[in-house]
Amino acid sequence: MTDAPQLAQVVIHERTGESCIAQNKVFCPGWAIDNFDRYVDPALQQVVLVVVSVALGFAIAFALALLAHRRRWLVPPLIGVTGVFYTIPSLAFFFLLIPISGRGRDTAIIALTAYTLQIIFRNIMAGLANVPREVKDAGRGMGLTERQLLWRVELPLALPEIIAGLRVATVSTVALATLAAFAGGGGLGEEILSNIDFKTGIVIAGGLAILMAFAFDVILIGIQRLLTPWRRAVPA
Amino acid sequence: MAGPVQHDGGSSGAAKAAAVRYDHVTKRYPGQEEPALTDLDLEVPAGEICVLVGPSGCGKTTAMRMVNRTVEITEGDIFVGDTSVREREPARLRRETGYVIQQVGLFPHRTVADNVATVPQLLGWDAKRTAARVEELLALVGLERELAGRYPAQLSGGQQQRVGVARALAADPPVMLMDEPFGAIDPITRERLQNEFLRLQGEIRKTILFVTHDIDEAIKMGDRVAVLKAGGRLAQYATPAELLMDPADEFVEDFVGADRALKRLALMRVSDIDLWKAPLAFVGQATSEVRAKLNGAEVPHALLVDSDRRPIGWLSERDLSADVVPERADSPPDPVLDLDDVMRDALADLLRSGTQYAPVTDAEGRIAGVLSVEIISEFLNSPRALSEEHAATERPHD
Repeated sequence: MTDAPQLAQVVIHERTGESCIAQNKVFCPGWAIDNFDRYVDPALQQVVLVVVSVALGFAIAFALALLAHRRRWLVPPLIGVTGVFYTIPSLAFFFLLIPISGRGRDTAIIALTAYTLQIIFRNIMAGLANVPREVKDAGRGMGLTERQLLWRVELPLALPEIIAGLRVATVSTVALATLAAFAGGGGLGEEILSNIDFKTGIVIAGGLAILMAFAFDVILIGIQRLLTPWRRAVPA
Repeated sequence: MAGPVQHDGGSSGAAKAAAVRYDHVTKRYPGQEEPALTDLDLEVPAGEICVLVGPSGCGKTTAMRMVNRTVEITEGDIFVGDTSVREREPARLRRETGYVIQQVGLFPHRTVADNVATVPQLLGWDAKRTAARVEELLALVGLERELAGRYPAQLSGGQQQRVGVARALAADPPVMLMDEPFGAIDPITRERLQNEFLRLQGEIRKTILFVTHDIDEAIKMGDRVAVLKAGGRLAQYATPAELLMDPADEFVEDFVGADRALKRLALMRVSDIDLWKAPLAFVGQATSEVRAKLNGAEVPHALLVDSDRRPIGWLSERDLSADVVPERADSPPDPVLDLDDVMRDALADLLRSGTQYAPVTDAEGRIAGVLSVEIISEFLNSPRALSEEHAATERPHD
C-alpha cells in the first residue's frame, strides 16, 4: 500500500492550498495540478488492463463466434456460459479468482476478459445474422467458398455490429478496471482505494477513467469509419 | 449434344456458349412427400434463352439452381456441354456460370467496379486484365464510367440490376442463370431492361436459363419456354409461338391466358406480315391519275408522298377535287409505323389513334406498305402464323 507517501503529500499541500484540502472539498484544482504526475502510471496501467482484456476477449469471442457460425447448435450454450460470466458480481469474481491465480494483474485481466465475452460474442453473431440473405446467395452463386464468403463478405458487412460490441465492451471494461485494484491489478482504482475519503483524488481518478472511456470510444468510432466507407456513401 | 459451341455474330465477337441438358432430373427435399421437380428432361441449345415459367411452387427455381449446384440433384443428371455438373466442384462450376437474382445481391461494401470484378478476382486475373474487363462490361450493360467508384446503395434499382448482369458476365460464362431478374423493378424500367437484355443477348449469345412467374415475360424473353406445373412436372416445352398456338393441355392454356392470340403479336414485327399497298400520289400529279389508281385498290385512300416517297398525309375527296395533287393533305398520315415495330405496339398505335390504316416506312422513312387492323386479324386467324418460325427466333429490337 502507498499510505505513507500519500499522507506526506497531503501534509505538504496543506501549506499551499491548505483550506481546500483541509476542508476536503469536492475538487481542489491547485492540488490536482501539483499532483497530476502520480496519476500517470495508474492511468497507463488501466489502459493496459483495458486493451489487453478487450483484445483477449475479442480473440476468444471471435473464435467462438466463427465456431458457432457453422455449428448453430453451439449458440445457446455459448451465450449461456458467457452470460454466466457476465452476471457474476465483479467484486466477487475478483475475490473468487485470487485463490486460483493470485493477486495481481493477471487475475484482473482474466476477470475483465471474461466480462467482455458476452457482449462481443453476441454482437459478432448479430452482425453475421444481419448480412442480407440475397448477398450471401449471390456470393455463393458466383463461386465464393464458405471461407471466402465469411472473410470477404460476411465479416466486412458485420463490422458495424462488431465494432459496436467492442465499444460497449471497452467502455464497460474501463469502468470495471477501476475495481481491478481489489485484486491487486493496479490502475486508477488503486488511487481511489488508497484514500477513500480524499474527494479531490477520487474526482481526478474518476474523471480520468471517464476521459479514458471517451477516448477509447472515439478511437473505435474512427476505426469503424475508416473500415466501413460504404456506410457513409450518400445515395446519389 | 455437342459441347461448347462457338457462336458467330455480335459486335463483341465470338462468345462461348454451351448447351444445358436435363437428363431425367428429380429433386426431393427432405421431409417432403412430393418431389419439387419430377423427371425433368429437356435440352436448351447453346446460345438460347430457355424460360422456366409456372405458378409458385412449381419447382422452376429449383430446376434452375441445380445447374450451378446451389441446389443438389436427387436423381438424374444435368450436363453443361458434355460435362455432368455432378462431376464438377461446386465453387468452380459456379465461377463458370453467370448468376443473377431478383434481389440482385450486390455486395454493399464493395464499389460497382469491385462487385463486377468478383469472379475475375476469384479466378486470379491480374489487376490490369480485371480493370479492362470491368470497363468493357459497364459499357456493355450501358452504365456510365463514373459509376464504377460508387457503392450499390448509391444506385437506382435499374442500375443495380445492370451491375448484377455485368457481374454475372464478368468471366464470360457459357451459361447464365437468371432468377426473376427483373421481378423487383417497376414496370417501365422492367420493360426497358428486358429490351436491353435481349439486345445484349443478341451480342453475347449465352445459354440462359431464365426463371419467371410472368407468362408475358416468358413469351417475350424466351427462345423456348418450359411451362412447369405443381410437383415440378413439365407441362410443355416449346417455342413461344407454339405455346400460344398450340397449348399442350388445359393447364398450359389457362396459364398462357385467354389473350394468347394477342400475345402472339408481341413476337412479331410489322415486317413479318404482308402489308397492303395504298395508291401513292405525288405533289403536282394529275388527280385523274390518282383516281384511276384508287379503283380496286387494297386501300381505298390515296397517300400523298414526297419525292423520296416519304408519307405526307392521306388525300381526302376534297383534296382530289382539284386538277393536280396539292402540297398538303387534309389528314395527317399518323400513326406512321416502322417495319421494325413490334406488331403488338403497332396495333396499339392503330387503336389509339382511331384510324383504320397506318403507313409503314422503312429505315429511310420511305413508304413500304400500309398496315390495317384487318390485316392483323386475318393474320391471327390464318394457320400460317404457327409456321412463322422467325416469330420465335427473331426478336423485336426496339
